[in-house]
Amino acid sequence: MTSAKRKNSCVMAIAPSSRGFGFAVLERGKSLVDWGVKTVKGDKNPGSIEKVESMLGHYNPGVLVLPDAMVKGARRAPRIGRLCKEIAALASKRRIKVVLLTRDNVRSVFFEDGKGTKHMIAKVLAMRFSNELGHRLPPKRKPWRSEDYRMEIFDAVPFAVTDELINKGGSGSRPT
Amino acid sequence: MASSHLPNYLHANRKRLGLSQDEVAFLLGAENGTKVCRYERFTREPGFHAALACEVVFQRPLRELFAGLYEEIEREVAARAKRLVLRTDWVKLGNKGSRKREVLEGIAAPKKRKSQRP
Repeated sequence: MTSAKRKNSCVMAIAPSSRGFGFAVLERGKSLVDWGVKTVKGDKNPGSIEKVESMLGHYNPGVLVLPDAMVKGARRAPRIGRLCKEIAALASKRRIKVVLLTRDNVRSVFFEDGKGTKHMIAKVLAMRFSNELGHRLPPKRKPWRSEDYRMEIFDAVPFAVTDELINKGGSGSRPT
Repeated sequence: MASSHLPNYLHANRKRLGLSQDEVAFLLGAENGTKVCRYERFTREPGFHAALACEVVFQRPLRELFAGLYEEIEREVAARAKRLVLRTDWVKLGNKGSRKREVLEGIAAPKKRKSQRP
């Protein structure tokens, strides 16, 4: 058979992190096709690029959404910024449209006043995709604990959902 | 032209149900998860028995589980139906051919048929 050689209408979102990256593949107007966390050992950026490349080859998405790590005021590590740039270049080479979104973009889509926490967004998504993500929602992070690795999924999914909602026509249809 | 579907959605459905590839393989009557992995990576198409077993396991119709493949086959059949319409001598068939022509034109325009569905 046949791999998904032609451009697909799905949106892939990647959220790089200190361990590797979280990813989500969303089909326009439909459901989540794939979601999860990829951990990379050793040299993070080349390992991540390799994994992203194989995923792009498998799903051949129409759009790739990445966090805008270079926006003014962003506090992401320089390595993440470089990784995002490399992933964007890889996608462009494959003629995949790259969309960069900031956390403010996401929050403005999820909340009317544009104010809300990461956990609140995760809860909304766990309800929206209850079959897929309901059981992956980690408990709210205590200030003295580090972030649960499952939150990487909830970093990536909002990017895909935000891109879909922006393309649908603004934030009129919030995913509540 | 952009395809709106992946060849199949076995991976997403399996993940949703929380089953492993080995478990799905067992349910499909395969020896191990290798076959399921190949189905999910679009490198192998399941046979008719395995496809029906997938419908039973995932409780989804085949045209949804194998949406991309269905779309591809639908396009091929539509093209063949168009050719059949063109090569049939409708004058010779007379009134008898009108029903047949209607059916073939319906197959040849699958998008139109879909939009007419309630």
